[in-house]
Formats: sequence, structure tokens, C-alpha cells
Amino acid sequence: MNKSARDDGRRTTDDGRLEASGPNLQPPVRNLSSTVHRPSSIVWHALALFLSVLFLLPLASMFVGSLRLPGLPPPRGIEWLPNPLAWGNYVSVFQVVELGRYALNTLAVEVLAVPTTLLVASWAGFALDQLQPRLARRIIGASLLLLLLPETALWVSRFILYKYAGLLNTPFALAAPSLLGTTPLYMLIFYWTYRRVARETWEAARLDGSGAFRMWWALGVPAARAAFAAVGILTFVYYWREFNEPLLYIQTIGKYTLSVGLAYLEQLDPTNWPLLMAGSVVITLPLVVVFLIAQPFFLEPLDRPRPAKEEANE
Amino acid sequence: MRYRTQLYLMLAPFLVGMIILVIIPAAGSLIVAFFDYSPLNPNNFHWVGLGQFALLTRDPLFWTALGNSLLYTLGSVPLRLVGALGLALLLERRRRGISFYRAAAYLPTIIPDVAYALVWLWIFNPLFGPINQVLRSLHMPTQSWIVDVGGARSIVITMAAWQVGEGLVVMLAGLRDIPPDLHDAALVDGAGFWARLRLVTLPMIAPTFLLLLFRDTIVSLQDNFAPALLVTKGGPHYATLFLPLKIYFDAFQDFRFGYGAAIIWVLYGVTALIVFIQYITTRRWSEAAYE
Repeated sequence: MNKSARDDGRRTTDDGRLEASGPNLQPPVRNLSSTVHRPSSIVWHALALFLSVLFLLPLASMFVGSLRLPGLPPPRGIEWLPNPLAWGNYVSVFQVVELGRYALNTLAVEVLAVPTTLLVASWAGFALDQLQPRLARRIIGASLLLLLLPETALWVSRFILYKYAGLLNTPFALAAPSLLGTTPLYMLIFYWTYRRVARETWEAARLDGSGAFRMWWALGVPAARAAFAAVGILTFVYYWREFNEPLLYIQTIGKYTLSVGLAYLEQLDPTNWPLLMAGSVVITLPLVVVFLIAQPFFLEPLDRPRPAKEEANE
Repeated sequence: MRYRTQLYLMLAPFLVGMIILVIIPAAGSLIVAFFDYSPLNPNNFHWVGLGQFALLTRDPLFWTALGNSLLYTLGSVPLRLVGALGLALLLERRRRGISFYRAAAYLPTIIPDVAYALVWLWIFNPLFGPINQVLRSLHMPTQSWIVDVGGARSIVITMAAWQVGEGLVVMLAGLRDIPPDLHDAALVDGAGFWARLRLVTLPMIAPTFLLLLFRDTIVSLQDNFAPALLVTKGGPHYATLFLPLKIYFDAFQDFRFGYGAAIIWVLYGVTALIVFIQYITTRRWSEAAYE
């Protein structure tokens, strides 16, 4: 009995796949079986809900903790919501440290880094797609090997490099990795996208005598809209979260980014938990919003079967 | 020809960036290990050969950090891999509410390191933290997690186990690529859930699993700097002093760049060795998936 219920669950997946590729392929009998609530479905929801609660625990504790009145004694039982709700923590956290200024500093890095990353990564991905496959394979292989390097291996020498280039304490030092497209992975996202464009599209445009930059602008950019959106979002999140590099390369308090600014708040007032949680909410909330907006684009395509590969002319 | 020249121009920024910001700095760090160099006294830059490595073998904190890093990797990698696979199997099906469940599982992964560290410090806070609140209301003995050797280590590993969003997405993509016919064939043969997991899902997902194994191993050895610095500060009694944190202390607090660089060599060597051993022992396993 239990086994058959599980098997039905498996069919639901198949239904989902069929639905994505074309609903008219779906046999009506299967459709019926998938809408009936079986015990296994309740167990599944209970388990998924339980795990969701566990995974949401950090965000929830952060938010609840941010609303305690500073200086209150520890709660005696379980405190679901503090009483009174101290929304004022969100005002004081901006006064104790210059969070507003740190937000502007972070945005300065983003403004430099996101467009540079998009340009460098999409150019490199486009060029590798158009150049000989052997060269592309070698460069990609070398980039992947370099990804194995510990980040710690770069700290000391980059520090020396930025010091002599006069970039310490500037957003340029923090945005510098965007010169290589932030990480080789972002270049690869573009490369894979261009790989899927039919060869004839490029050939036709080349017969017109377009140069490479024109081709990239006229065909490459529109063909990779989704890749631009994805890499843009990933880059934004990357620099927003970055902690190690600003910690090492920014030594003036007024030039801190949000991450280091929050660590600085912890040094100033390590036991003022409501304030620390309010600061954490302030730097986390923009990423949650970005994630919720972007989520349909990167979690839901996982339900569709992978599109058939375009055979490249290798 | 002009077209190809333009293509090389488009590729140039990426290559130049890689050379200036990755290849030269990496080579530089590895070379600095053979010198005595401190930014406080930049003119005193002299060759010491393997001197830094000799010092390293006599530094008890180095051995502590190496052991801690290995222990952390051993604790967190299996947890993260099994967690990501289990979650992916659970959240693979298209059901009502699936977007919510997937989003919930991914959300801890996007929290910035500093905020993530602070919130776990709060969760495990002996007086105010939710965990001890629950223990108190159940009349169970409360713990002072962070000042306890085992407690501090479990916190750092728990923090890693909660951030499995990327692994989940990769595993979901891997599960999606298993041809549905294989499952259908197994169903027709009367295979139950566990039989299909063992005979279809696991062999087919082995390459994805290995990729994540290598990646998580590298991340665990090399990228646990922020939690160790912010949550436990390496303590108590150096129980969470990991190699990256040791490098940070030696290079950026004591300004012994050469010494820090010597530890980077060790870190790189250990990572390469472990990934190599994993590759050798699992090679047949992943090849079997393609048969």
C-alpha cells in the first residue's frame, strides 16, 4: 500500500514534466490520480513544512531579535514576539554607526562592478564561442583550475598590488575583480548561452561583413538577455555580501561597506543584540527582496526538462 | 582576419584581469613564502629558503589549525552533501507550495556572512537565544554553547549545514537530467522507492554528486574564514582556529607575510591532496554511471 502511494508520487513528477512540454500529451487517468490527496502527500507536506521552518529559523530569529527593547532582561519562556515592539532599533542602528554612508559606499562598488562584470564576462564568453573550439577549451580549463586556488592565496599579493597602485581605501580596489568578470563562472554562463545559438545566425551576420563588436551588440546582447539578468543579479549579490576583501583593503572607517560596517558595530557594542539584529536585517533585506524577485527565474526552470543541446560545429 | 582580431580584443580584458588579479598574485604569494617579508619593514626583504616551513613545523598552533580544518571538513562536507541530496529528492516533485519550500531552503544561503554569523551568535546566546529559551521552557539544562569546545565546533558546522542552497539547485538540475524512461522502466519492473533510489537515481546523479563533493571540500578547507573570525574568533582554546583564519592572523595582524604565505602552500597542498584522493577513490564510481 505504502509502495503504491509512493509510486503515485513519482508519477506526479512525470505529469509535471509532461505538463511543461505540452499538456495535451497528458493521459487523463494520470491526471486524476495526481489530484487525489494520498496520505503520502500529507506526510510530504509535513516534512517539507518542518524543514522550511528550520531553514527560516535564522531569518525569523534575526527579525524577532531586532524588535526587542535593548536592555530588557532575558525572557522567561519562549518569546515569539517581544513586548513592546522596539521599531526604534532601526532608527538607532543608523545613528550608532553610519549605516547609510556604508550603504552608499557599497552601492558605489556595485555601480563600478556590475556593468564592468557584464561587459567583460559577455565579451569573453562571446569571443570564446566565436574563436576556435580548441583555444576555448584551453582557456576554460585553465580558468577552472584557477578557481581551485584558495582565496587566501590572493589576499597578501593583492594587498601589496593595491597598496602600490594607490587603490587601498577606494571602491576601485573592491570592484577590481570585475575586471575579470568577477569569477570565471560568469564568463562561462555567457559562453554556454552563446553555444546554444544556432551557428547559422552568426554565419549570416558575418556574410554581411559586421565586425565582432557590432555582432555582439546586435545579436549577442539580445540573444543572452536571460544570461545578462542572471549574471547581473549574481554580481550584485556577490559584491553586496563580500566581507573579506573590504575587511582587508579598507582601513578608513568612513569608507567601510555594509558588511564591514556591521562587523564594526559588533566591535563597538558587542552585547547590544537588538541593535546587531536590526543591522543584520538592514543588510540582509535587500538580498531577500532580490532573491524573491529572481527566484522564479532560477528555481522554476529546474522543473522543465533540459532543452535539447544544439550540436556545435566541432 | 579583422573579425578575429576584434574577437581577441573582446577576450583581452578577461585574460588581462585573470593575469593581473589572479595568476600574478597567486604566484606572488607562493614566492613570498621563501622570503622574510613584512609590510611594516618593506626594505628588509630577504631570501630564507625553506625557513618559514621549518618554523611552521615547530608551531603548535599550525598543527592545531590543520587538525581543526580537517575535522571541520570531515564534519561539514558529508552533512552538506547528504542534506542537499535529501532536500533535492524531497523538493524535486512539482507539487502545491513547492516554490515556497524551495525558497525557504535557499534563503539562509543568501544572508551576508556577517549577518549570518551574528544571527547564529544570537540563536546560541546563553541568556537570550531562542535555543536556550526552548530548553528553559522544557525545563532542560541550558548550555553555554560558544565557550565550550564541542559547542563552538558544532555551531560552525551547523552554520555550514544550513547554507546548502547552491548544492540544492545543482542537485535539482542533476535529478532533472535523469531520463524519465529510466524511472518508468524501473516502475514497470516493480521497483519501489528505495530500489529506484539505489539503482536509478544514485548512479545517475553520481557525477553531480562528485562535482559537489570536490567543490564543498575546497570551500570547507579554504572558505570558512568569516564564520571562524566573526562567531568564535578561533576560540575557545583555539578549537575553531582554521587554516584561513591562521593565515589572516599571521599575515594581517602580525604582518608576517612570508609566514602566512607558507601556510597558503600547505593549504593548497592539502586541498589538492584531498581532492586527488577523493577523485582516485571515486573514479570507478562515476565511470559506472556512464555505462
